[in-house]
Amino acid sequence: MKTAQNKFGNLLLSSISVAIFVSVAPLSFAADKEGQPSGMEIAKRINARDEGISVSRNLRMEMIDRHNKKRVRETRGFRKYYGDEKRTVIFYLKPKNVKETAFLTYDYAQAEQDDDQWLYLPAMRKVRRISASDRGDYFLGTDFTYEDIKKESKVSIEDYTWKSVGEEVIDGHHCYIVESIPVNKQVAKELGYSKVLSWVDSKIWMARQSRRWDIRGNELKTIYTRDIRQVQNIWTAHIIEISNHKTGHTTRFLFSDIDYSKGVKDKVFTQQALRRGL
Amino acid sequence: MPAFNTKKTNILCVISTLLGMWSLAANAADTGREGQDLNIEFSALLETEWAYGTAKDSNQKLEFIFEPEINIELQNNSKLTTIGRLRGDIEDRLEPGDPSQDEVSELSRRGLIGNDVDVELREFYLETEIGQSYFTLGKQQIVWGKADGLKVLDVVNPQDFREFILDDFDDSRIPLWSVNAEISIDDSTLQLIWIPDQTYHVLPALDSLYAFTSPAQIPVAPLGVSVDLRSVKKPDRFFSDADYGVRLTSFVDGWDVTLNYLYHYNDTPVPFRSLTLGSQPTVTVTPEYERTHLIGGTFSNAFGDFVLRGEIGYSTDRYFLTDNANDSDGVIKSDEFAYVLGLDWSGIDETFLSVQLFQSHVLNEQPGLVRDKTDTIVTFLARRDFMNDTVIAEVLWLHNTNNNDGLVRPNVSYQWQENTKVWVSVDVFYGDENGVFGQFDANDRVVLGVEWGF
Repeated sequence: MKTAQNKFGNLLLSSISVAIFVSVAPLSFAADKEGQPSGMEIAKRINARDEGISVSRNLRMEMIDRHNKKRVRETRGFRKYYGDEKRTVIFYLKPKNVKETAFLTYDYAQAEQDDDQWLYLPAMRKVRRISASDRGDYFLGTDFTYEDIKKESKVSIEDYTWKSVGEEVIDGHHCYIVESIPVNKQVAKELGYSKVLSWVDSKIWMARQSRRWDIRGNELKTIYTRDIRQVQNIWTAHIIEISNHKTGHTTRFLFSDIDYSKGVKDKVFTQQALRRGL
Repeated sequence: MPAFNTKKTNILCVISTLLGMWSLAANAADTGREGQDLNIEFSALLETEWAYGTAKDSNQKLEFIFEPEINIELQNNSKLTTIGRLRGDIEDRLEPGDPSQDEVSELSRRGLIGNDVDVELREFYLETEIGQSYFTLGKQQIVWGKADGLKVLDVVNPQDFREFILDDFDDSRIPLWSVNAEISIDDSTLQLIWIPDQTYHVLPALDSLYAFTSPAQIPVAPLGVSVDLRSVKKPDRFFSDADYGVRLTSFVDGWDVTLNYLYHYNDTPVPFRSLTLGSQPTVTVTPEYERTHLIGGTFSNAFGDFVLRGEIGYSTDRYFLTDNANDSDGVIKSDEFAYVLGLDWSGIDETFLSVQLFQSHVLNEQPGLVRDKTDTIVTFLARRDFMNDTVIAEVLWLHNTNNNDGLVRPNVSYQWQENTKVWVSVDVFYGDENGVFGQFDANDRVVLGVEWGF
């Protein structure tokens, strides 16, 4: 029996988590730290960073459980901007049990417009529409959420209130520390976080480290962005590692064969392409 | 002789196609050697599944499947896919002995090795892109529709019912030699298909474990009447008996929509009967495949945590069994309208819930119609993922409201190692023995399986 590695989940907000969220939320209205760019300014700088119009790359996903059992997925991914709209597609190449699985998302700029997402499940041989509201759900067995996959190193400004809270040196690079709090309970529920602390490199405006708390207020994940270097003059993270403190599970994304210059054909971002694969 | 010539032409045409594809592949391979390396990828699945019948206290199957796949990337955006299957079942109860394969065209048949083993070229197709058109040529599966586990539009390929509907559709769907063209037109895609392969549903023989007994599916002779069952009349003209289909796919204001049309032979033969009176009344049954036009469409869209999806189909000239003794041929000709409406909900972390309503309406109701004018099936699926998707627990429930019969299928799978998955499932049939599900009430089973991929 072939069961596709599909998942469609979302976040359940308990009454306890509501109480914790309410107690955390007022922090977001505190002032930014003096002498530093404001949190909002840093967020805007992050999103203004050049990512190129399009990119193609290989992505190796390493998933390691708390017993050190490792699963590896080899994928090929593409991303392209259409004005403010961003389209991302990921094709799974290996191993056999997930081969030909493919994920496509249209990320719209307007906050009020739901994104559109599709998943191709080879066992069903059908492209399946999936809910985009479960953006805090984990992406195909990794510790990244659907939102992480869509946003990559960018942020969803309208979902958070932003505050700069300090500065620190991470891996030899000066970083501003930014605290982000979801704007309301519904957004917190959708994202799965009640608070995010990010260490943002003050020269290249990319987060080198990020800590995230779940909606109950417990520390949930730490994300490390490593091996950041320029590819065709665009600052690019080559390793992103995320540790889930709740489960002891770790996911490492390793990017290679990155190309911003070749361009990506529009037809790659279609349901037909999901079915056909690479 | 004409039939023989047609068959010969058929075989020659398919062989020509086959040789043409290999020629293209060889040519591209040569080009590849001169330029860059040719990308050839080999992968395979090895699966074993043991099914134990709890009601009859006996094994239903002990099956081994080896499914190799070769993908060759050719020049000019072309690729060649070959998927084979070697399958053995030492219990030999699903297809006892030497199955006739009469329903299957000669080029699509399995090779039988004794009673227990068969070998099959499952899929063999060339994909190539020319301008705005994408062609898939060869033996392939073409899947339409949005429903899970129910078929309104997913009828382009026939199905093997050796395990009723318990086998995965991907395994039970029978690939056909087809020409499949997808043409991009602005934001839409027009799909044109031509299927000269005259292969139809593989229905279980009377002595097999999952043989149909429901009166809605199998005609029942009155007491004291003998039955003369003739061989099935099967279409055999390469061009004029081919199936043709068109599908237009589009994405409009957040809606995925398709419009579908299929001119095809329904894959289940119609058991036309004639009665000869005399000292020994005899019913002569002559099964025959009949043409139908299928017109329909699908839609799906997401609304917050919900996904709404559906498919609708209208079929002309369908035939339904009647128990009216005065009926001249034992069947009622009628158009049929069928639809599936599905609602998926993913409002709980790592959990997926789905309900579907399927209804089929016979539009020309006549006295003696064996099935109900309106047949209704409701399905419910609950799935939850654990441990970063390494453990998946689900239960699928199908319930026919007409006969109050159904099927419940709980399943737990575990991705034990990178390439190894194990699972345990239970299939429980219940309800009226005249029902489509209830007829297998004595076939409840527990299944253990292991799959290894590389």
